[in-house]
Amino acid sequence: MLIKLAWRNIWRNKKRSLITISAIFIAVFLCVLLRALQLGLYDNMINNVVGSYSGYIQIHSKGFWDEQIVDNSFSPDKDFLNEIESIDGVSNTLQRIQSGSLASSSDLSKFVFVTGIEPLKESSLTNWEKRLIKGQLLKEESKSLNVGKGVAKYFDLKIGDTLVLLGQGYHGMQAAGAYPVSGILDLKNPTLNKISVFMTLPQAQDFLSAQNMITHLILNKKENKDEDAIALDIKNLINDEVYEVMTWREMIPELEQTIKADSAGGLIMVFILYMIVTFGIFGTVLMMTQERKYEFGVLISIGMKKIRLIKTMIYETVLLASVGAILGIALSRPVIIFLSPIKFPKEQAQMFENLGFEAVIPLMNTYDIPLTHGFIIFFISLIVCLYPLSVIIKLDPIKAMKI
Amino acid sequence: MNVIETKNLKKIYSQGEIKVNALNDVSINFKQGEFTAIVGPSGSGKTTFLNTLGGLDKPTFGNVMIDNLDITKLKANKIIDFRLRNIGFVFQSYNLIPVLTAKENIEFIMLMQGYSKEKRNKRALELLDAVGLSKESKRRPGQLSGGQQQRVAVARALASKPKFILADEPTANLDSSSTKNLLDIMYDLNRKEKMTFIFSTHDQRVIDRAKRVITLEDGKILSDKIT
Ligand SMILES: Nc1ncnc2c1ncn2[C@@H]1O[C@H](COP(=O)(O)OP(=O)(O)O)[C@@H](O)[C@H]1O
Ligand SMILES: [Mg+2]
Repeated sequence: MLIKLAWRNIWRNKKRSLITISAIFIAVFLCVLLRALQLGLYDNMINNVVGSYSGYIQIHSKGFWDEQIVDNSFSPDKDFLNEIESIDGVSNTLQRIQSGSLASSSDLSKFVFVTGIEPLKESSLTNWEKRLIKGQLLKEESKSLNVGKGVAKYFDLKIGDTLVLLGQGYHGMQAAGAYPVSGILDLKNPTLNKISVFMTLPQAQDFLSAQNMITHLILNKKENKDEDAIALDIKNLINDEVYEVMTWREMIPELEQTIKADSAGGLIMVFILYMIVTFGIFGTVLMMTQERKYEFGVLISIGMKKIRLIKTMIYETVLLASVGAILGIALSRPVIIFLSPIKFPKEQAQMFENLGFEAVIPLMNTYDIPLTHGFIIFFISLIVCLYPLSVIIKLDPIKAMKI
Repeated sequence: MNVIETKNLKKIYSQGEIKVNALNDVSINFKQGEFTAIVGPSGSGKTTFLNTLGGLDKPTFGNVMIDNLDITKLKANKIIDFRLRNIGFVFQSYNLIPVLTAKENIEFIMLMQGYSKEKRNKRALELLDAVGLSKESKRRPGQLSGGQQQRVAVARALASKPKFILADEPTANLDSSSTKNLLDIMYDLNRKEKMTFIFSTHDQRVIDRAKRVITLEDGKILSDKIT
């Protein structure tokens, strides 16, 4: 009956309640949409940069990150790999060996990174099919090279042309070889495009005289698992005197900073919207409380305990806020599903791709965004309740009933 | 048996330099089953007296004993609960909860007392019948006349099975036929159910129906007559 009472009290002033509910609805709706768009954008950025190349987590030989040379490599055995793959949240692993080399063709030469990959496994991380713009992708037994389109452009390489690679192998060994180019890739990242040369892992190990050695062990995570937690599990499992475990946050801090800065902007918007909501709810509750002082006096006179009265006011406020919040959440969902993914018009799409991002933003369609905002509204309405609470506690029924 | 005893009640309101003796040394007893009018000109202290009897106001001096419990010594929270369980109130301006129906207004007080839904329902219907408003049970106060609202208020006051009902000028806003109707109902309840009523008024027709008339003037008892 207290809830019934609260519900009917809300509709005593229909116009005011509707305005308040609409304000809350619009704010929640916009907040959820805004955050879905932002978080979707970040997720997409991370997927593009992290998911497609660096992986969420990497294991190196200790010291490799600071001095990226083949000497800082390691040889993972089966047990080690099994152990890593059995950690909760790790979906699979892939191995790479990478070393800087001098590439030359005709009379041009240029510094590149030669990366030995496991073509089959690598495709679980990188969408190679989509990246190929000419020729053929590497296969397990290929003896040829795939090069970034920037490299191809520099040397004016065509499929079948030969690239000569010169570098330093494991323990100071001379690394040299000439390989045909079998495919040209667009890695969706201008820097990577200009410096990437790929061959199969065994061939790279051969080229660098580093049998069974790798520089990177890259871990894919299962969806919705937290990479920091996984990294911690790994750190606890392996000898950190020998290995280093890094997440993308440590490897590409710029990306995280960009996201954080942008996210902060979004959060300010959200904050402003919530300020509006807070004042909206507060204004309504203020009026509701003021015009009902007399009634409170009556209720206390006939024996309603103040705590009960406070409870009904809390019910009223929370109900009012919830109706708006639930509407906002409920309606934002189909809109998000309808809008997602957002595709950009051609020119803008091109701009995005030049920056190394896919020009498609899938909106983040999780339950925790609406839940968070629902919770915030709930919390705001509770805080607003402090006002009627203080009025009721101080209320003297005789004074309140004297008009 | 005395249901209420007051001893040397004083209520002094001070507004700056000026002190008003709203109650001046009032010692008086009320017995179970009385039907008493408190009369006197405006400003004589009727409201202050009833508020003090009902524990809404604390006297500056003196005590109010209800069934031998001194309610002036009760803490703020306790006194509210005491009112709920022992005292029925009827106000001049009805003061029903506007968003609840007539029946719900009556049930509300029983809800606070912790009655089960069935009991609430049964008693609310009985009380509506007693005040002659069975047909209006689903109407809200706004859809009832003043006289009907005041009858609901009497039913609400009765719902908690109080020791007595205090009514401050219950008929002041009513026309003469509603006044008569309300008094008939109160009189009947007093006769049949031995409900104690203490009401203030300055309406001669209401005074004529009372069994005991206490006259106040300047916060003092001028006369106390049993008719
Ligand atoms: N809150 C108050 N502050 C100051 N004086 C008051 C207050 N309430 C009542 N009084 C004074 O006390 C006296 C008695 O008032 P009241 O009990 O309301 O009389 P009645 O109900 O008989 O008209 C009046 O002189 C009134 O002005
Ligand atoms: Mg009065």
